Amino acid sequence: MISLIFFLFVGVLLFLSLFLLARRNTRPEGSSSALVEARQALKTLQAGLLPLDLVKRVFAERDWEYVRAETPRSIHELFMAERKAIALLWLTEVRSQIRSLQRFHRGAARHYARLNPRLEVELAMSFAALTGACMALQALVYIAGPYAAPRMVSVVANVAARACEISQQSLSFLDTARLGALGGQPTDAATL
Amino acid sequence: MSIWLIMGLGLLLELLLLIRGLRARLIQRYYFFYIYIASVTFVTGAAMLLNGTAPALYDRWYWPLQLGTLITGYGILLEILNHVLAPYPGAERFARFSGIGAFGAILCFALVSPLIAPHWSPGTIIEFERDLRSVQAIFICSLLAVVFYYGIGIGRNMNGMIMGYGLYILTSLFSLTIRSYAGKPLDQIWLIQPLSFNISLIIWLIALWSYCPNPAPDHMIHLEEDYGALVARTKGVMGAIRAYIGKAART
Repeated sequence: MISLIFFLFVGVLLFLSLFLLARRNTRPEGSSSALVEARQALKTLQAGLLPLDLVKRVFAERDWEYVRAETPRSIHELFMAERKAIALLWLTEVRSQIRSLQRFHRGAARHYARLNPRLEVELAMSFAALTGACMALQALVYIAGPYAAPRMVSVVANVAARACEISQQSLSFLDTARLGALGGQPTDAATL
Repeated sequence: MSIWLIMGLGLLLELLLLIRGLRARLIQRYYFFYIYIASVTFVTGAAMLLNGTAPALYDRWYWPLQLGTLITGYGILLEILNHVLAPYPGAERFARFSGIGAFGAILCFALVSPLIAPHWSPGTIIEFERDLRSVQAIFICSLLAVVFYYGIGIGRNMNGMIMGYGLYILTSLFSLTIRSYAGKPLDQIWLIQPLSFNISLIIWLIALWSYCPNPAPDHMIHLEEDYGALVARTKGVMGAIRAYIGKAART
């Protein structure tokens, strides 16, 4: 019976692998254009969405105190729902930055002939743990709300900013001097 | 009667695949694959001929010939490994690492099993084939895991090669597992193997109609730092994020 379960499990694993292969986009990840796109997205995030002062302002508890004192109950609920959505959006961005870092690492590591499989497995597990921790935080915000843990907001903001900074470091090799070598199009570099 | 119809159709598809490979000059590119197809064509033709003229010889040679095609089938896996991962030395190293493990398991099994069961019965042959198919299945799964993890693009030729062979291994594995477990009552399920092989042949015929290389990254990225530095930086970055998230969770 144990052998039956084992071989059927291997079969199911193969079926799932083939199913994923059939549904997969054939375009390779980590191409130079994809990395350039990643850097462009990062710039947009940092400039438009993630400045620390703006985040602190958005999550300021004084706003909640003012709304609670000056407005009817129906507005309270609307306000809380919107702030909660923003907090969740923030955590989604952090996860996205972690994914971006992982994507970049994989895109670079696969070219190294001296790649260490043990280290790669270790890193993959660490990335999975980190993403899991992020998801747990999202669940916490979803259940307890954005003001349940007041210090959390600033920490989340720091995490997001730090993640962006980190991704920027990861993509720092895409400087103007080297973009020409990647794409042979120095004009692209100017847009970054 | 139905099995000879399935085998006849299979032989026709195999010949068509070989002719198409020759005309599209794919044989030079994927020679391990075409060695497999040629060996299967020979075995199918020989089986049909022997069964009609000398049934005793057919019974005697059936399993050794099947084992021969099973071994040449590993050539397809080698072909996939060579073509899909060639532009990515790091990913190739990772896949070889897991592939060597799978191959070691096959070798050990092939060496040890005759010692354990020197007189094979049809039952043990079914189990032997099931075990070899499961090793092939594990090899394909680990190869695809590397392909998915590193985001490696696969062209139409290789995609079809993996899908076709994967489908055949999958149905073989299920059929052999059920036969070895249930025995005689479900013995007729073996028909699913030649039937699914014909479906695989059709997939290969479509996918390998003309040459379609794997999509390579737009431009090869050569970083000046070494692999150790890349890993150290990624680890450092993750440690920093983890520390922030840990702090957030504690507040």
